[in-house]
Amino acid sequence: MAKKEKLESKEGDEKIRIGVYVCHCGLNIAGSVDCEEVARFAATLLNVVLAKDNRYTCSDQGQELIKNDIKEHRLNRVVVASCSPRLHEPTFRKTCEEAGLNKYLFEMANIREQCSWVHLHDRKAATEKAKDLVKMAVAKAALLQAAEEIEVPIIKKALIIGGGVAGIQAALDLADTGYKVYLVEKEPSIGGMMARIDKTFPTMDCSICILAPKMSDVGHHSNIELLANSEVVDVKGYVGNFHVKVLKKPRYVTEECTACGECAKVCPVVAPNEFDAGLAIRHAVYTPFAQAVPSAYIIDMNTCLNKDGVTVCDKCIKACERQAVNFDMRPETVELDVGTIIVATGAEVFDPSALPNYGYGRYPNVITSLEFERLINAGGPSGGHLIRPSDKQIPRRVAFIQCVGSRSERNERSYCSNVCCMNTIKDSLLIKEHWPKTEIYVLYVDIRAYGKGFEDLYKRARKEGVHFIRGLPAEITEDRKTHNLWLIGENTLQKELYEINVDMVILSVGLEPRKESETIQRLLTLSRTQDGFFMEAHPKLRPVDAATGGIFFAGCAEAPKDIKDTVTQASAAAARAGILMAKGKVRVEAVTPIPYPENCKFCGLCTRICPYNAITLDKELKRIEIIEAACGGCGTCAAECPFDALTQNHFTDEQIHAQIDAVTEHDAEKKIVAFCCNWCAYAGADFAGVSRMQYPPNVRIIRTMCSGRVAPKFIERAFARGAAAVLVAGCHPGDCHYINANHQTQKRVERFWRMMEQQGLGKERLQLLWATAAEGERFASKIREMQTIVEEITPEEIESAKEVFEKALGGG
Amino acid sequence: MPQRLWRTPLDTEKVKRPKAEIHIIKDQCKGCGYCIQFCPKRVLEESEEINAIGVHPPRIVDESKCVICGFCTSVCPDFAIFAVERQCKEGC
Repeated sequence: MAKKEKLESKEGDEKIRIGVYVCHCGLNIAGSVDCEEVARFAATLLNVVLAKDNRYTCSDQGQELIKNDIKEHRLNRVVVASCSPRLHEPTFRKTCEEAGLNKYLFEMANIREQCSWVHLHDRKAATEKAKDLVKMAVAKAALLQAAEEIEVPIIKKALIIGGGVAGIQAALDLADTGYKVYLVEKEPSIGGMMARIDKTFPTMDCSICILAPKMSDVGHHSNIELLANSEVVDVKGYVGNFHVKVLKKPRYVTEECTACGECAKVCPVVAPNEFDAGLAIRHAVYTPFAQAVPSAYIIDMNTCLNKDGVTVCDKCIKACERQAVNFDMRPETVELDVGTIIVATGAEVFDPSALPNYGYGRYPNVITSLEFERLINAGGPSGGHLIRPSDKQIPRRVAFIQCVGSRSERNERSYCSNVCCMNTIKDSLLIKEHWPKTEIYVLYVDIRAYGKGFEDLYKRARKEGVHFIRGLPAEITEDRKTHNLWLIGENTLQKELYEINVDMVILSVGLEPRKESETIQRLLTLSRTQDGFFMEAHPKLRPVDAATGGIFFAGCAEAPKDIKDTVTQASAAAARAGILMAKGKVRVEAVTPIPYPENCKFCGLCTRICPYNAITLDKELKRIEIIEAACGGCGTCAAECPFDALTQNHFTDEQIHAQIDAVTEHDAEKKIVAFCCNWCAYAGADFAGVSRMQYPPNVRIIRTMCSGRVAPKFIERAFARGAAAVLVAGCHPGDCHYINANHQTQKRVERFWRMMEQQGLGKERLQLLWATAAEGERFASKIREMQTIVEEITPEEIESAKEVFEKALGGG
Repeated sequence: MPQRLWRTPLDTEKVKRPKAEIHIIKDQCKGCGYCIQFCPKRVLEESEEINAIGVHPPRIVDESKCVICGFCTSVCPDFAIFAVERQCKEGC
């Protein structure tokens, strides 16, 4: 505390001295922005004592320069105009700290992702915009206040969701490091997709042979608690302190089970085994496969005769010597406290019955690559004999069709599924190994053999006589008598049509996000890309971190990948989670609310809308208390308070007003003031920049942590100062990074629209946008749309809005 | 594993399922209908014939569906129904 007071008093006494650094970023910024001009302009701004431009501000030299200037010129605020604060704010904050300046006295202007990259061909407008952005940053910087971060302890336990090879590897790594791990798997056994595959490419290792020992290690590890047949149903809390509820579905077989299998022998009812893709049969009491972990039977209540608590059939009960069958088991909720979470939920395969031209589901001899794996597997339904389903004969001519459900705009899966090319090559070699005379055709778009040892495998397949034909068939037709199949298409390399007759077709199906991803996304407040896979915090430098602190990704949940990459990523995720837990504590960003008790009327509005219940109000004692460790830092309380009794640290009313004022100082009637939440909309605008999506240059983005921070008075102020339009942008409802704070955004904007209508103002001047971090194009097209609105606005309309909101200019 | 299971499993014939022989002692039945109502496989239905007591005894709809769980025997108040495994000769 003494330090804090000292800091404050120091500031109080001293004049504000701001240093501005305009970065060229090579030609990334300097290519379309005149950086020297921006620096010259910055030097003329109030409180700025020096302004410099340099090639790479983030380089060691660039950082040294800032440090020296802080000391030499006694700078007490630093502004860097360069890339997105989402990329380098931590870097420069550290630089400032190293030079003895509190890191909350640093501010950034984003002139790359949100300026130079999106206005590549309009140097003049881009330079003007960069000047404005610097002006806004300088205006905010002058009002910045030093802040101390609080430290929160981290629970040294991890939760891993998903027990495929990713979850298994991450669990073993963390458990071996010495941390307690809870591994939650929704299926009766761990193993995931890898357990269902016969051989792995490119080395042709037996998949279950290399996986089973790991599965068994998980089952026996003293640090791992395996919760199979269970699902995560609720997650609360924040990095280091998650409170998780897991629903343990009943197995109806207790831990006494020794997997002897006597129960299954007497069970009178059967169903297709999901593990074998429905190609084999199982009883109502079953174990999905021989190597299952936990090694115990389970009763499928959808198949079993005993429903609604009535024991109709007791054959398994009688057969079990250890009396492990118990029909009285009920679902159970387990509550866990963990510090870190690894999401390893995997992917599922595309269902090709969506493509009627391939006839899957109608023609018995059209199978998927997953069905193929079960057929060629010695433990599968045919004992390792590749037989065609129609007559159980070994096919002599086989065709593989690639990119089924991948790289196709038509079925909305434009991405490459990464594993299917090599999987097909491996499968073709497996057939050649067992039945060398089989004729094999591979119909492909491109063969992507990009990994270590992949090209060799591809060459081997060609040498073995596998025919690779470029061009997918347009249609498959069936000979009704023989159930043989005709493939008709175009060989695009030879520019000729082909017509191939085969006994069996294998559709090389792509991977797609799990249906449950949506639930996981909501529970953990994650974001997903347009493809539906989870989005990492940074695609290059933080590839296994989620944007939410303390959460990491492993395996196909993040994007389709092969086993090697999955295992690599799982170990990486374990290491990243381990770093947090080894440290034992984490600092919480000082963006918590600041109360002004003298203004408080004890109405309790803030306590009702706080998504974290972090504000308590004692009406009798007239006391308001903020629990900083529980606060998520959205700032929606500050936006809600009608009496200005709350504001948000580092995003105070004054600071945001200063930014609005800076934007609207000149040419306000041509500008759009945009408020973007840090996690989705601001990141989406960054993504538009990274993808070089061009949009009109008249938008000025003000970053808030959550769109819920945007108080109506900010919008009023922007209009009162003559802004043409205002955009409020945040995460999609349900995706809010702060549980549900953006519900308040929606309510406030809707209220504002009603008010604008009553006042006779065009409500299209205030726009609301939901955009994820991956929806750059959505953001860009919104700005384009708003540009047309701005062009149509008359000076009279601007004036009437000014009059209506005039009183907003008072105060602040 | 949410996937559409549409094929007849390849090893259907290998899995031995008990073949049932259902015996109904018609004249012992008082027509309560418990066996019909509680059969998990819906093997029975009410017949139109009238027995010695003057009620409709059950009739077998599809004997092959019966898995000999024995619940009909358990619920029958009159010991009028039972199922046994059919002792089959070769080829059945």
